[in-house]
Amino acid sequence: MKSLSRILFVLCVIFPPPFCADQVTAQDNVQELADRIDELIARKWAENNVVPASASDDSEYLGRVWLDIAGKIPTAAEAQDFLDDTAIDKRRRVVDELLDGPNYVVNWSNVWRRVLIPEADSDFNIRYMLPGFEGWLRQQLDENKSYDDFVREILTTPVSGVNPYQNQNGLTPFAYYQSKEIKPENLAASTSRMFLGIRIECAQCHDHPFDTWKRKDFWGYATFFAAMQRQQGGNGFLGQLQELFNRQTLTVPDTNEVVNATYLTGVSPQIPSGRTARLTLADWVTSGDNPYFARTAANRIWGHFFGIGIVDPVDDFSESNPPSHPELLDLLAKELVEHDFDLKFLMRAITASRTYQLTSSVRSEDNVAEPLLFSRMAVKGMTAEQLYDSIAQAVGTHEAFDTTLQASFAVTGRSQFVEQFSDSRSGPTERQTSVLQALAMMNGGMITSATDLESSRTLAGIIAYPGFDTAQRIEALFLATLHRRPRPDELDRFVKYVESTEAEKTTQRALGDVFWVLLNSSEFSLNH
Amino acid sequence: MTTHMKSKSQAEQFSIGRRDWMRLLATGVAGVTGVTGTSMSGWIQQLAAQTATDTSRRRSVILLWMSGGPSQLDTFDVKPDHSNGGPLKPIDTSVPGMRICETMPKLARMMEHVVPIRSMSTKEGDHSRATYHLRTGYLPQVPVDYPTLGSVISNELGNNDSDLPNFVSIAPYRAFSPAAYGPGFLGPRRSPLVVGEGGRVLSVDEQAGYGQSLRVENLKQPDNVTLSQTDRRLALLKDFDAGFREVHPGLPAGSHESAYAQAVRMMRSSAVKAFELDDEDDTLREAYGKNQFGQGCLLARRLVERGVPFVEVSLNGVQSNQSFGWDTHANNFEAVKQLTSVLDPAWATLLEDLRLRGLLDSTLVVWMGEFGRTPRINGSSGRDHWAVSWTTVLCGGGVKGGQFLGETTEDGMAVKDRPVSVADLLATICLAVGVDPMKQNMSNVGRPIRIADPDAKPITEILL
Repeated sequence: MKSLSRILFVLCVIFPPPFCADQVTAQDNVQELADRIDELIARKWAENNVVPASASDDSEYLGRVWLDIAGKIPTAAEAQDFLDDTAIDKRRRVVDELLDGPNYVVNWSNVWRRVLIPEADSDFNIRYMLPGFEGWLRQQLDENKSYDDFVREILTTPVSGVNPYQNQNGLTPFAYYQSKEIKPENLAASTSRMFLGIRIECAQCHDHPFDTWKRKDFWGYATFFAAMQRQQGGNGFLGQLQELFNRQTLTVPDTNEVVNATYLTGVSPQIPSGRTARLTLADWVTSGDNPYFARTAANRIWGHFFGIGIVDPVDDFSESNPPSHPELLDLLAKELVEHDFDLKFLMRAITASRTYQLTSSVRSEDNVAEPLLFSRMAVKGMTAEQLYDSIAQAVGTHEAFDTTLQASFAVTGRSQFVEQFSDSRSGPTERQTSVLQALAMMNGGMITSATDLESSRTLAGIIAYPGFDTAQRIEALFLATLHRRPRPDELDRFVKYVESTEAEKTTQRALGDVFWVLLNSSEFSLNH
Repeated sequence: MTTHMKSKSQAEQFSIGRRDWMRLLATGVAGVTGVTGTSMSGWIQQLAAQTATDTSRRRSVILLWMSGGPSQLDTFDVKPDHSNGGPLKPIDTSVPGMRICETMPKLARMMEHVVPIRSMSTKEGDHSRATYHLRTGYLPQVPVDYPTLGSVISNELGNNDSDLPNFVSIAPYRAFSPAAYGPGFLGPRRSPLVVGEGGRVLSVDEQAGYGQSLRVENLKQPDNVTLSQTDRRLALLKDFDAGFREVHPGLPAGSHESAYAQAVRMMRSSAVKAFELDDEDDTLREAYGKNQFGQGCLLARRLVERGVPFVEVSLNGVQSNQSFGWDTHANNFEAVKQLTSVLDPAWATLLEDLRLRGLLDSTLVVWMGEFGRTPRINGSSGRDHWAVSWTTVLCGGGVKGGQFLGETTEDGMAVKDRPVSVADLLATICLAVGVDPMKQNMSNVGRPIRIADPDAKPITEILL
């Protein structure tokens, strides 16, 4: 009884009656969905007797939306402006600004590229083709192409007459096919995971060990991609590609079994004459009625912002891996369909929810609950690109991560950094720092030049700024790295450190030390 | 590891004798019996015997990686009676009946420790894919991120509390297939420490540069930062981080702390002196060869001596900025002669050096590239990619040296008997150092994956 009244109290704080609302906004679709999200999440808290964490402060929120949407931390100026802004709707506004900004395009083209063509990490030939692909991705994001059209274009991009040796300077998703070697089994496995959330590849060789998929199901689905063939070129080189119309069947390898092109729902459509099988497949995949498509998309977006999907891993929907909040997932999918597959709509609603805005810090009396209940924001690791860009921003270099350099043979500081910090093994909430990463951060060129007076723009700027005292300088360093102001005890400690000179430790060097500490802190390198 | 510290101080006592030994080593790598006719006390034999019988000694692997696909007919699989053999001639070795190519005279005197596997038969002829295939044991198969051999072996044999990293990669050329040099699903804690990033090969003439190129990045604080300044920074960081960690329990913040703590230990430890090659006698350094690869092999010995379980040294080329030096599509014979002029002394000295220090029995040395080269010589006096029948080599600990494994046909175009796949080779390497090739690791797709493909048939004939 006592815990129930406690939960009711908390719910009242989270969903305040109108007279004590603090972030009242005009009721709109975004807010409506955000509220519904919170309702469904809170219901599970009540069922599990979980007390959620308190709301995030402005700095936490700002860093989080910047990293999740724009892929890097905010500048000191942006941080300061946001923290000092008294407008009630500032949190909604900053999200809208970020979604309309160029960083969204760059960051999300990285995100989609990594998910669609992970082969680039192990195959140089694929990396060579990336610039055209990434250019195409950026174009889609720039235009805010709806997600169903985006996927449709990938599924139906023309392949006939394409010369596989030609570097695709045009903006086209063809590299997606090239990276799968244009083999039906590879395309089946990849499209199924990516767009339908089903890891059907296990059923390629035998009936799936844990799930209901049979070998026949796999190859029936793969048939949609079986019409693309290479002609024989001269001299043993690969010839041009050709796509056959009306190719609707496939012989399962090592058997005599012939299967028809079959959706994962078990239906074998009649492919109209004059149409490729892929076009028919694209209609089915991107349809609002497709039971997997919208839910997979919504889940992927949720997983990006929370670090954990409602179904997790996000491409593994199966009977043995049910959603933690089935009603919520269905709601998100439905809303996505109703808003014409506008992913930004979902992003706005998610970031407007109170659930997303919970703090990631734990107070002692908190119930540090099961992460799948979303009662506290999870601490997420940054991707290598996010970390690099954030450091570059904080120290004031111009060299942001430039994906158009993918095709270069050169080993650059940038590429070395990404290799050192890439981690595909764990989900973002289980990111671990390695010793070599720690060494790179502590002693590596980037941080070294940043904290060296001679070469750091940020540091030089702060030291040179007229009229600043030590406390203000430290505050500037905090804003540039942690997008917050130091707490009184922190300020005290750091001011004492800087002002107590010993031997070769000048005030300027001491400020460099403070900068070094902030850049090497876990608070800096984690998305929290 | 402490045993070696003891042995080293013993060696210090006999420093004069040690220099004599080095001189003997440099002049002709005296054959089977090693040190001959000296006036030294038998301390080196004592040292060797002590190390060899030390059961607490861990096993190690040194991988000599030949980037580009080394020609088997011009190294180990000689065909003097066929036109495919080309102009290079076979020579006798220290093992009666075994002949190898004239390009490897010094190694020829160490053949009792060496097993060339002449019947490698694989399917990949593309540099990127084949590099990945040989270095992970699996073909690239998205979405699984297979770890490279060094990460796998160091994961098994390494010591997490060690001051030195468990996997060191010397001069790798990673640009073409970075995933083939990475820890994959074993995670960043199994990443190699990279020394001397490859692709910037210094030519044999650029003597002065080789020492510089093997510096360890990031292990020392930067030059413009003093030791006391580093101490101050670290103290400040520790305090600051503790506050964040207190209210953010869990893996990300926790691992940040432990990684930094271990990094600092590594920076401060004496074990890091392993990287200071100036410690070594100059005659020995000459014997290895004063170039990036030769000195890299010397560094490998030093690391293995200090208990590092896996070290790889890449030979990417002998001219400036070469990356796939062994990719001899044109002028094969000249190129191979140049490459082996670097490879041969380094490899032979490495084996002898390990042997004299009692380390050879517990160190497996693996020599391979991503594929071999065509037996038929092309119009540019070159050889092209060839995966059908080629050679890799195992030597040292865990294998019965002094024999060939497998044979190719007279023209070299096919395997005659005992074909060996990548999985077979990988399983054999594992068994030679006491690792179970069928052990499973959790992959990044939620499925456990064995170290070697379950179909692997290890070459038990050559295992001790």
